[in-house]
Amino acid sequence: MRLIRQLARRKLRTTLTVLGITIGVWALVLFGSMANKINGLVSGASATYEGKVAVTDASNSTIGLGISPMRISVADEVDAVEGVVAAVPEIQMIYDPTAGGSFGISDTVQGRVAATDVRSGEAALAADEGRLLTAADEGSMVAVFGRTLADKKGARVGEEIEIRGFAFQVVGILQSTETVPDYVAYVPLSAAQHAFAATLPAPIRSAIPEEELVSQVMAYPADGVSEADLADRIEAGVPDVSTVTRADYDKQLGTSVGLINSILIGVALISVIVGGLSVINTMAMSVAERTREIGIKRAIGGSRGRIIRELVIEAGVIGLTGGFLGVGLGVLVVQAMNAGGRATGNVLFAFTPVIAIFAVVFAAVLGMLAGLVPAWGAARLDPVQALRHE
Amino acid sequence: MPLLEASNLRKTYRLSRKNQVEALRGVSLNVDAGEMVAIMGPSGSGKSTLMHILGLLHAPDANGGPPPELAFDGQKVVKLADRPRTRLRATQMGFVFQSYNLVPNLTALENVMLAGEYAGVPRSRARTDAVEALGWVGLAERSNHRPVEMSGGEQQRVAIARALVNRPKLLLGDEPTGNLDSTRSAEVLQMLRRFNRERGQTVLMVTHDPEVGAACDRVIHMRDGRCERSVVNQAPASA
Repeated sequence: MRLIRQLARRKLRTTLTVLGITIGVWALVLFGSMANKINGLVSGASATYEGKVAVTDASNSTIGLGISPMRISVADEVDAVEGVVAAVPEIQMIYDPTAGGSFGISDTVQGRVAATDVRSGEAALAADEGRLLTAADEGSMVAVFGRTLADKKGARVGEEIEIRGFAFQVVGILQSTETVPDYVAYVPLSAAQHAFAATLPAPIRSAIPEEELVSQVMAYPADGVSEADLADRIEAGVPDVSTVTRADYDKQLGTSVGLINSILIGVALISVIVGGLSVINTMAMSVAERTREIGIKRAIGGSRGRIIRELVIEAGVIGLTGGFLGVGLGVLVVQAMNAGGRATGNVLFAFTPVIAIFAVVFAAVLGMLAGLVPAWGAARLDPVQALRHE
Repeated sequence: MPLLEASNLRKTYRLSRKNQVEALRGVSLNVDAGEMVAIMGPSGSGKSTLMHILGLLHAPDANGGPPPELAFDGQKVVKLADRPRTRLRATQMGFVFQSYNLVPNLTALENVMLAGEYAGVPRSRARTDAVEALGWVGLAERSNHRPVEMSGGEQQRVAIARALVNRPKLLLGDEPTGNLDSTRSAEVLQMLRRFNRERGQTVLMVTHDPEVGAACDRVIHMRDGRCERSVVNQAPASA
């Protein structure tokens, strides 16, 4: 109560200082949630390469996406490489080649014979509505949508939807995974080959028959063979292909993701530190105004440590209050922006309790550290001089 | 039995490179336990400086003459570090100032509690003690009022309660009646005398007021940073 009364003595100043911390923490929550989202997406995408080697045409230049056409016979050549236990042909396509870039993972169409790629992580997917694909769907124009893509494209089970100019029957929508599968439309390999072929230039179309068309082969190593070794063997043994392992993916994306995260967190930290400076200012003014009071306290037996403790706790409460308000405001904005972005598939933020706890603790500690400077000066005051202060 | 034994106390304030004030020029005095003593003298005679040194708020100068000595209740205190000096102030001394010096945003009760808390008394006991101390000065009913809601006399009584709450051996007053009218002044003086007689608490006051001096057991007269004379009142005026 004493503390609250003390802070309430200068309502406007305390409010403005709390507001400074609030805005800083708000930025920390927002940018922290954005960095968290990026990390989640990238680590989810990276995880799809776990325990396998993606083999694409040597001309393929898109990181993490095999979209250059090649013959299905490449899968047999890959399968024949020593150390490969399985090679599964697939087609990957951008869902809408005319759309511009989007935040995070691209919307894609993935075609493969269902249940053939037992180690693909497909088994972990579960239908939220409708059903999953089966091998019996080969030859049909059906699709199962990831949750985010379904929301974005308005896909509904039982209805038809156009993908790359072809009508597909939506048979299922997946439960959300918060990563890659949310942005994928899964279709049978034959349907994907049909849609893929239609967009290829005539010379390629005539060179590779539709039923022989693939854009990627997933190769699985035998026990005791590392992905890196297998990738080397495949590149050495199969002409005109390139390989991507999880380590390659992480290396290619890790640096840029790290840079983005550093920028985001850096901007947020600067905001909070500016808030912290306002706490120093407020506490310095407060100490200057209360010089006499500090002198009284020292005279009647208040130790230097006790004076420092009182002022630091006061500053900590300012930081803590700003921290709670900033987190509250941040949560509101994150929820509002995520709700708005869900319709367009641009969910920008992944807020977690860890971010909230970090932000509040950081604000409180920053407040206390900021309070320490003027508190230290106050505790060193000569009590007699302080008592004479008007 | 002396509570305070001081000798060769000197203090020079350096206001600038060329300007310095010799506030104390070698003061020696003893104050017995249970005495009520007034320090009187014209402005600038060094009486407040003396009280600050005896109250451990300042240390005497160590250079420029014979080494200063100060013992409180037999304990040498000149070279004590800040922490034990503060501890002695909190537990063994009480201060009453001319302008009351209460913490403005705290209630009367909280102001008195503060002294207990600084002396290391647990908060709940500090509260009980503070209620009792406010009772001693007749302000139990005003315990939840803040200084601005009280008269000068009431504020000074709260300050006395704060000074007495830890039952200190020494009560130091810096013009404790200086801001009060004659009626309130007499009340405060009477109160200090009562605690001095009933509990044997030593009282040392700086004052300009001859009536305060007349009510004390002894008056130390100061001039130009020295103790000019010490006069014992054979029959102190009843406060």
